[in-house]
Amino acid sequence: MSKFLKFTASIVLLGAAWATNANAQDADAGEKVFRKCAACHAVGEGAKNKVGPELNEIFGRVAGSLEDFKYSKAMTKAGEEGLVWDHDSLTEYLAKPRDYVKGTKMAFAGLKKDDEIANVIAYLATFSESAEQAAAEPESAPASEPVETASAAEPALNAADAVIPEHGVYHLGREALPEEIAAWDIDVRPDGVGLPVGSGTVADGGVLYDENCAVCHGVFGEGEGRWPVLSGGFDTLTADRPVKTIGSYWPFASTIFDYVHRAMPFGNARSLSADQTYAITAYLLYLNDIVTEEDFELSNETFSEISLPNEENFYPDDRLEEANFATNVEPCMENCGDGPAEIVMRARILDVTPDGDEENGAGGID
Amino acid sequence: MSKQTQKDKNFVPSRRSFLQGGLTAAGGAAVAAIGGGAALAAGTPDPAITELKDWNQYSGPGVDAAPYGVPSPFEAHVVRRDVPWLTADPISSINFTPLHELDGIITPNGLCFERHHSGVAEVDPAEHRLMINGLVDKPLVFTMQDLMRFPRENRVYFLECAANSGMEWRGAQLNGCQFTHGMLHNVMYTGVRLRTLLEEAGVKPSGKWILAEGADASGMGRSIPIEKALDDCLVAFKMNGEALRPEQGYPVRLCVPGWEGNMWVKWLRRIEVGDKPWQLREETSKYTDLMPDGRARRFTWAMDVKSVITNPSPQAPITHGRGHTIITGVAWSGHGKIKRVDVSIDGGRNWQHARIDGPSLSRSLHRFYYEFNWDGSPLYLQSRAIDEQGYVQPTKDALRAARGDNSIYHNNGIQTWYLKSNGEAENVEVS
Repeated sequence: MSKFLKFTASIVLLGAAWATNANAQDADAGEKVFRKCAACHAVGEGAKNKVGPELNEIFGRVAGSLEDFKYSKAMTKAGEEGLVWDHDSLTEYLAKPRDYVKGTKMAFAGLKKDDEIANVIAYLATFSESAEQAAAEPESAPASEPVETASAAEPALNAADAVIPEHGVYHLGREALPEEIAAWDIDVRPDGVGLPVGSGTVADGGVLYDENCAVCHGVFGEGEGRWPVLSGGFDTLTADRPVKTIGSYWPFASTIFDYVHRAMPFGNARSLSADQTYAITAYLLYLNDIVTEEDFELSNETFSEISLPNEENFYPDDRLEEANFATNVEPCMENCGDGPAEIVMRARILDVTPDGDEENGAGGID
Repeated sequence: MSKQTQKDKNFVPSRRSFLQGGLTAAGGAAVAAIGGGAALAAGTPDPAITELKDWNQYSGPGVDAAPYGVPSPFEAHVVRRDVPWLTADPISSINFTPLHELDGIITPNGLCFERHHSGVAEVDPAEHRLMINGLVDKPLVFTMQDLMRFPRENRVYFLECAANSGMEWRGAQLNGCQFTHGMLHNVMYTGVRLRTLLEEAGVKPSGKWILAEGADASGMGRSIPIEKALDDCLVAFKMNGEALRPEQGYPVRLCVPGWEGNMWVKWLRRIEVGDKPWQLREETSKYTDLMPDGRARRFTWAMDVKSVITNPSPQAPITHGRGHTIITGVAWSGHGKIKRVDVSIDGGRNWQHARIDGPSLSRSLHRFYYEFNWDGSPLYLQSRAIDEQGYVQPTKDALRAARGDNSIYHNNGIQTWYLKSNGEAENVEVS
C-alpha cells in the first residue's frame, strides 16, 4: 500500500513539474490559436514560407536562419547574437514580438493570454522532432476520449413545463436582448447609420497601419504579392489593366470602416477598437489623397464630410438591356457564321492551368 | 481489368502531358490498354476474364471498415483543385468542382467547390445562434433546435460563383472545365424558408432590404432586397440529406436561388432588416462589374443562362477512338428551368438539339447528352443553352462587345473545346 502511494506521488510530482514547465499545454487548443498565425505562417507537411517563415522544426532553430526567407535585419542579428528558438524564447517572443526582437517585421501584436502562448507552442512542438523528444517522457496518462454512442442531448424537462412565447406564428425562438444585438450589429451604412462613437487621426492611423496592415497591404497601400492594393490607381478604370482601390474605385468610405472593424487584420478579426478603426480609416483616406492633413481626425461626427470620388460611377444592373438578352430570337441552327470556324485563341498560348509549377496567369478574381 | 489500367485510372492529365508532349507515357499507356483490349487478336482470351482476381477469391473488409464511407481508391483523382495564382492566400481563396468526373445533376458534398474569405469557420452548433433584428416587430434569437422546428422544404439549386469563367474574359486561358466552369455545384437543400423566419419576427412596412451576415472571421455580409428574401430564399441546414459540410457553412447557410454564390452566406448568424442597402465590401469593391467606359454595374445578382460540355474536355480526352461517342455536359439558368440545349461539333456553324435527361428543376443543373458517330476528324465542340424565359446563352465575343474585358463577373459565354484526332481536347476560341 505504502509503496503504491509513493509511486503515485512521484507520478503526480512528475506531472506537476511538467505542467509548470509547459504551462498545462494543449496542442489541440494550440491548433486553434495558430489560426491567428496562419495568415502568415505555415507549419506541417509541405509547409512553405509565406509572409512569414515556415515553422517546421522551429525548436532549436537559430533565429533568422532559414536561407530562403528574407528576414528583417533585426531578426538576422538576433540569431547571430545567439537567439535560438526554444520554449522560453518563444514564450517571451509571442507575448510581445516587437519588444523581444526590436525591428522584427512580424506585424503581429502578440498573444495576450499565457495559456494561448503555451498552447500554440505545444502545437508547434508537434512539428519539431527535438521538442517532441523532450516532451515524450513525463506526460501523465491522457484520459481516453469517451466514445459517444448516441446524441449527448440532455432530455428535456417535462414537456408540459416548456414555456411557449407569444410572438409570431410558430412561437419559436426568443426575444433578442439589446446587449446581444449590440454585440453583433456592428454594420455601418453610407449614411453613417451604425457608426460607433469614437475618433482617430491620420497620424494615429499611420502607426496602427504599419503595425497591423502593411505586412500584407504594403507600406503605402500598394499591396504585397496578390494581397489587395488599397491606394492609387487613379484614372485607370478605362485602362487595359484597371487598378481598383479605395481612391480609384470604391464608392463609399463607410465600407472601409465596416470591413476593417468586422474582418481586419486578416486572421485576427474584431481586435481593433472603434477609435483604432477610425484612425486606420483616416489613414487609408490619407493614402488616397481624400484627406490631406496628418492631424485630420475622423469621428462619428466628421464622417459625413467624407465622400469618395468614384461614387457617382456606379449604376444599377442593366444587363437585360443588352442585345444578348433578347428573348424572342430563335438562334441560328444551320450554316451560321462566315465559312468554317477557325481557331483565334488557344489556351496553350496563355495557358496557366495548374500542374504543380509556380505560374501566374492574367487577372485574378479576389 | 489489368493492374496497369487500374493504375492509369489514377492518372491526372496535366497540360504538359496533353498539350506539350502529345500523349505521354502514362496517357499512351491508357490508350494502349483500352485499345489493346479491343485489339486482342481474334480468339485471344481476355485475362480480365480468364485470370482469377483477388476480389473474386478472398473476402473483403467487413461492414464497419468505414463507418463513414469514402469513394473507391481508384477514384482518388476525383478531387477539388485550386489555381494558386488566383488569390493571395489559401485562407481567402477558391477551389473548383471536378465537373468532368461527374454525371447526373447532383454534386457530391465532398466535391462542392469552396470559396472562403477567412478560412473555414469551425462552428459548434450548440453555440450557434441566428438573430433577426432591425426593422421587425420583435427581434428574435433562434437556436439550431428552434430552426429545425419550423416547416421544412427540400429544393435542388445550383450555386455558381459570379466569377466562374472570370479568368476567360481575355481569351482561352485554363485547360479544363474544372477550372473554367468549376465554381459551380448543385445540391438538394433541406431548410426553412427565410420568409417563415421573417414572419415570425414581423417585418415592418419600412423594411425594404435585409443584410445576411456570417459568423466566420470575414464577417461575410450581403444586402438582399426584401422581395427576394420573401420569395424563395432558404435557410438550409442539410445538403444532399446530411448536415452541411463545414466548408459549406455548417451548421446553417443561406440559399439565394439563381443569384451569385457570394450572397449565399455561410455560417449564417444574423439577418438584419433595413430600409436601404448596406454597401459592404462584397457589393462595392467586389462583385460589381466594371464596364469599358469606366463606370460599374452594381447589384448584378442573377446568374444568366449557361452551359458547358464536361466530356470530352481537356481533362477528359476521348481514348476509345472513332465510332459511337457521347458528348455530355450541364446547363443552368438563374432565371428558371432550361428549355433546350443545342450542341455544335463544327464551332457553331450547325447545331443539333441535345437530349436532357434527369430532373428538370428551376434554378438547378440540367444534364444533357449528344450521341453521334465520330469519324475521328478534328472537331470544335460547343453547347448553347436556352432557358424557359427565352434567354439564349451568348457567344463570348457578344459579351465582350457589350462589356469589354474587365468586368470579371458573369461570363456566361459559349465554351469551345478543340477535339483533336488523337482524342485530346483543348480550350480554344473560334471565329
